Amino acid sequence: MHPLFVGRLRIAIYLGLWLAIAAMLAAQLANPARPFGQTLAFVVPLTLVYAFACLSAWWVCRSLPLASTSPTRLFTGLGGATLQASAAWVVLGGLWAAALGRLYNVPQNRPLLVHDLSFLAATGVALYLQSIAVHYLLLTVETARAAERRLLESQVTAREAELKALRAQLNPHFLFNSLNSISALTGSDPEAARRMCQGLGDFLRQSLALGARERVSLGEELALAERYLAIEQIRFGERLTVAREVEPGVERCAVPPLLIQPLIENAVKHGVADRVEGGTIRIEARRRGDQLEIAVENPRDPEAPPRRGQGMGLENVRRRLTALDPRRAGLDVTREPERFRVVVALPVVPFEPDVEATRAPRAAAARSPQPAAEGERHAV
Amino acid sequence: MPSDAGRVRTVIVDDEAPARALLREYLSRHADLEVVAECMNGFEALKSIGERTPDLVFLDVQMPKLDGFEVLELLENPPAVVFVTAYDEYALKAFEVHAVDYLLKPVGRERFDEALERVRARLAGPPQPTAAPAALAAAARPPGQHLERVLVKDGANVHVIPVGRMDWARAQDDYVEIHSDGKSHLKQQTLADLAATLDPARFVRIHRSVVLNVERLARLELIAKDSRMAVLKDGRELPVSRAGYARLKELLG
Repeated sequence: MHPLFVGRLRIAIYLGLWLAIAAMLAAQLANPARPFGQTLAFVVPLTLVYAFACLSAWWVCRSLPLASTSPTRLFTGLGGATLQASAAWVVLGGLWAAALGRLYNVPQNRPLLVHDLSFLAATGVALYLQSIAVHYLLLTVETARAAERRLLESQVTAREAELKALRAQLNPHFLFNSLNSISALTGSDPEAARRMCQGLGDFLRQSLALGARERVSLGEELALAERYLAIEQIRFGERLTVAREVEPGVERCAVPPLLIQPLIENAVKHGVADRVEGGTIRIEARRRGDQLEIAVENPRDPEAPPRRGQGMGLENVRRRLTALDPRRAGLDVTREPERFRVVVALPVVPFEPDVEATRAPRAAAARSPQPAAEGERHAV
Repeated sequence: MPSDAGRVRTVIVDDEAPARALLREYLSRHADLEVVAECMNGFEALKSIGERTPDLVFLDVQMPKLDGFEVLELLENPPAVVFVTAYDEYALKAFEVHAVDYLLKPVGRERFDEALERVRARLAGPPQPTAAPAALAAAARPPGQHLERVLVKDGANVHVIPVGRMDWARAQDDYVEIHSDGKSHLKQQTLADLAATLDPARFVRIHRSVVLNVERLARLELIAKDSRMAVLKDGRELPVSRAGYARLKELLG
């Protein structure tokens, strides 16, 4: 559907414009050999018909995008359409002149008709070329608007995903369980209780600090995971073991903050808490060409039922990666009966702390505290 | 382990050592209670509670293999139960299965002592009218949430059957006979109770005494006017009642 037909006002304006063109054409074709009324009767209906014929340029232009069509193809396509439209108009003009001649009962003035029709042919070509130019302009504006909208949408999605990640960073059940452990240790091993308080404090402080920034280094993100795992180690004891395989140097790559943390928390939940014998959580990070790969793997109980909210945390990580770089960043999930593995891939970007310092205040301001619904907070 | 008459025999079930230690410490101040066992997961709990028949159990909800509610469902003569968990969303469900109390982690001593007062009152009072545990578990399921796995007790063993692997089930007096992976299991539950907990988009009561996993259905055969037979992918034939046919048609469109 042509964009002209979305509103009556647009159609009215368009027809008004063409009536003005019709008037100019009539003035050009005025001839002492016939009354001006007859010239008008000849020109105005023909011009209005051509007004609609020129709209066909919309489909012609859309099928021949300027950016991706070769010049030859553009020239033949547009030229062909223009000649066809103009030729059709001339034929119609001849027929209309004959019909009018019979109506007004005037003998045919052959030289005048040839003059009129050759004028129509030239005008038809010019008008159609104009129409093509206007339509290409419209298409360009439309494409630019669509691109702008897509950009805005992706920015909103990225922001939402970030906010969700920040809310999820304080998983309340992790806190409740840790506090319960501290409470238990207070009686039996006060020194261990003190260490755990300190560990929990460090973890919370660090996770708030990282969450307020736009980019952190992988090293900082992994250090946060270590703090977290040290606390969980007290809860789960020997059931939790961790294997690390981090390629030297990758710690200095930049990553979005708290991207890995929800994956680690998931791994502890499904790989350790849900299994009688517990399990080993594998954390791997390596460079593969210009891509950074981070893998988190955990064993799983094949009989464990899917938990509510499972997958939402992963989906959030996926969205953040897509917002970061839709072509090169992504998430790969391997779900086997006994094993669960998530691989995060993103382009290698060296981490530069100096750039971060100037950006930090903006990110912190965007992080105004928001009361989260219970369901969202432990969505990870 | 002989115990003094009148002491409350107690079992602690939690998969985290510090959490068990905390409860043990709180309990040590109450001379009328005695910890007879500590368990790290649902299976252990089931075994231990079955063998020792305690009066009271402190039960964690989120545990490997069997969660606290599933343990309770599988117990034939459940003791008084106090749930202990970091999650507050199970509280309603806990009281629907007649839990004495519901403690939130971190557990404070005063709150713990309060729970023990309730336990003493419950144990001193007349015996609670207990409904069939499976029926209770069904009643406690939040609306819109369906059973994800069926638990069948077979002597000392527990079979965990994910509902996706359940082919069909039929009523056998007070039991249901559940068919899964070519084996059959008897579970003490009525077919109606089981059917009520299953996802109606996956399981259809095709007959008064048969529930079918629709994914296993190969075809329907008309054997007489108004009388049909369901043929499963493994070739087994099951009766389909007229009402069952109507339900099947509605689901499969």
